[in-house]
Amino acid sequence: MAFTPIPVGPQHPALDLESVNFTFHVDGEKVVAVRPRLGYMHRGIEKLAEGRTYHQNLYLVERVCGICSQAHTICYAQAVEELLEVEVPDRALYIRTIMAELERIQNHYLWLGVTAHQMGFETLFMYTWRDREIVLKMVEEVTGKRVNYDINYLGGVRRDLTPEAIHEMRKGLDQLAERTKYYTRVCKNERTVLKRTVDVGRLSPKDAEALCAVGPTLRASGVKRDIRADDPYAAYEETPFTVITYEGCDVASRLWVRCDEIQESIRIIRHALDTLPGGEISVRVPRAVPAGEAISRVEAPRGENLHYVRADGSENPARLKIRAPTLANLLPLCTMFVDMNIADIPLIIAGIDPCIACAERMTFIDPRKTAQWSWSSEELRRRSVQWYRKR
Amino acid sequence: MGLIEWARKRSPWVLHFNTGSCNGCDIEIAAAFAPKYDLERFGILRKGSPRHADLLAVTGGVTRQAKDRLIRLHAQMPEPKHVVAIGSCAASGAPFIGSYNLLGGVDKVLPVDVYVPGCPPKPEAIIHGLLQIIRRQDESK
Amino acid sequence: MTADEAWRGAGLEERATAIKVQSRRRVFVDLAPVDFKAVVAWLVTERGFTHVATVTGIDVGSEIEVIYHLAHGALVLSLRVAVSKEEPTLPSIVDLVPGATFYEREVHDLFGVAFEGNPDLSPLVLPDDWPSEIHPLRREWPADRIHRRLEGT
Repeated sequence: MAFTPIPVGPQHPALDLESVNFTFHVDGEKVVAVRPRLGYMHRGIEKLAEGRTYHQNLYLVERVCGICSQAHTICYAQAVEELLEVEVPDRALYIRTIMAELERIQNHYLWLGVTAHQMGFETLFMYTWRDREIVLKMVEEVTGKRVNYDINYLGGVRRDLTPEAIHEMRKGLDQLAERTKYYTRVCKNERTVLKRTVDVGRLSPKDAEALCAVGPTLRASGVKRDIRADDPYAAYEETPFTVITYEGCDVASRLWVRCDEIQESIRIIRHALDTLPGGEISVRVPRAVPAGEAISRVEAPRGENLHYVRADGSENPARLKIRAPTLANLLPLCTMFVDMNIADIPLIIAGIDPCIACAERMTFIDPRKTAQWSWSSEELRRRSVQWYRKR
Repeated sequence: MGLIEWARKRSPWVLHFNTGSCNGCDIEIAAAFAPKYDLERFGILRKGSPRHADLLAVTGGVTRQAKDRLIRLHAQMPEPKHVVAIGSCAASGAPFIGSYNLLGGVDKVLPVDVYVPGCPPKPEAIIHGLLQIIRRQDESK
Repeated sequence: MTADEAWRGAGLEERATAIKVQSRRRVFVDLAPVDFKAVVAWLVTERGFTHVATVTGIDVGSEIEVIYHLAHGALVLSLRVAVSKEEPTLPSIVDLVPGATFYEREVHDLFGVAFEGNPDLSPLVLPDDWPSEIHPLRREWPADRIHRRLEGT
């Protein structure tokens, strides 16, 4: 690699951070290097987990990240269930799959809106967040919640799918499929979108692999890797779906990967509903977990999520390690900034779908002008929109 | 009451700051501003700068790193100002209470006017909480 | 060569002190600190294990276990190395897999393990003013002891 990535801040939803401070070294309008600073959201979850029971930790793990809580609880539950050597009923596995895919759709819609906002495309933001409510309504029908579903138990799921919920779900999926077709058309054809995203934030396949990128970020650089296909869990082995890749290696490709993934998720849910097995939705599990270690991986909306659990025979885990996907994409993110315009920064960050609410503050250093200044992410966003309007 | 008083009360502008939230509350706040709930019809706008804000909406328990920035943001807001703690973490730090890097709920650092509990609270609850500030101001006249 | 076959070979098997095939997709290998980097080099450059999913640290009493989770298709191959708490040093693998940079820094923050050759071990998840002797995930640092130390009591 040409430059040394300086520790990139933000996201480590597992232990930290929604706010991140970036320091950009610039030369005129171009970015030369970047230094992020993480740590603002570090809540010490892994340490907390050692002081709680496996069951209590379900609630903790759910709240690692409010946007991909299913990914975390399924991942955690799977690791503990492996140690317990329990077989989760098939119906529960299917329900987990359905909820995980609903979460993916919800996440991608959320992300589409946020990315549109970063472009100054407010209408698209409003539309996608309006349509995202279709998903939230479905989720609420099943779980009683919109966010942090609390539906996974150790040994299964907490709530079943009623015929009414399934009926509503099918209707909602039809609506979403139509809306997604429209948004995909916009993302692939709208001039403003293309201007802001094509050839922006490049990540070569070689760099993506060397820097251990994951998820849509990786797949937008042509690398066909998806935990649902490679290391199947829940009901994914029984469910036909396509792993979406694009070869563009830029923000545009990351956009298109996610658009197509929404359609794949709809397909997966429909298939799961059509073939939903009957039976129990959970099995009872003991409180103490036999000594051992287990690794569980799931494909969260942002990429590979990994949980490692070490048990010592007691009711509390000896160690819970969580590596959420965004941390894996931070180094690749650094590479994407190089030689890009300052005005491209917001979209490049958005492109990896970081678990950041807003990058708090950005500092810019231009050694040639001996200038140093700070912008909030909102200021940078506004300037970027203006900069692109002039071109 | 003067025109300025009336205008200020009728459209409080909100500065939203995350001090350690999982983002669940943040996205429900964002959803409250999106078309389905549309907080803007109450004249409530999100502002990026503390100098334009009447309300500080805080999500998350306060981490050690976030504490100073939170205090600074609050200090930069002009009077009269209010603080709304959104979510159970902002109210008390739960379920991360006891963590080595967490100080607790927002009230460990700032005076809180309204608590909106929930994990996360639904947009209706968030709207209700923000409107309490307006109601309070009405009652204080 | 499938992932199943890829990890089997002299490059690993002759150096491992223990191999546990927990399942087809989960294999755990114990290595001595002096052998571990050569095994990683062999796996990365000759056998296609280019993806480091993460690095886990565990305080097991007198030692810190550092586990490197390498992934290849369905297989997660976990390489376990133990270092003493008094001298917790390991060679960094960032020259082989640049993507491991942050994972090493995280283990450094939380356990105090030094990775020789990692050009930047500044705090990743802990604040800049965090006392360097507090490694939060070591057992001798329960949360209330950390609070007392940070509040100066």
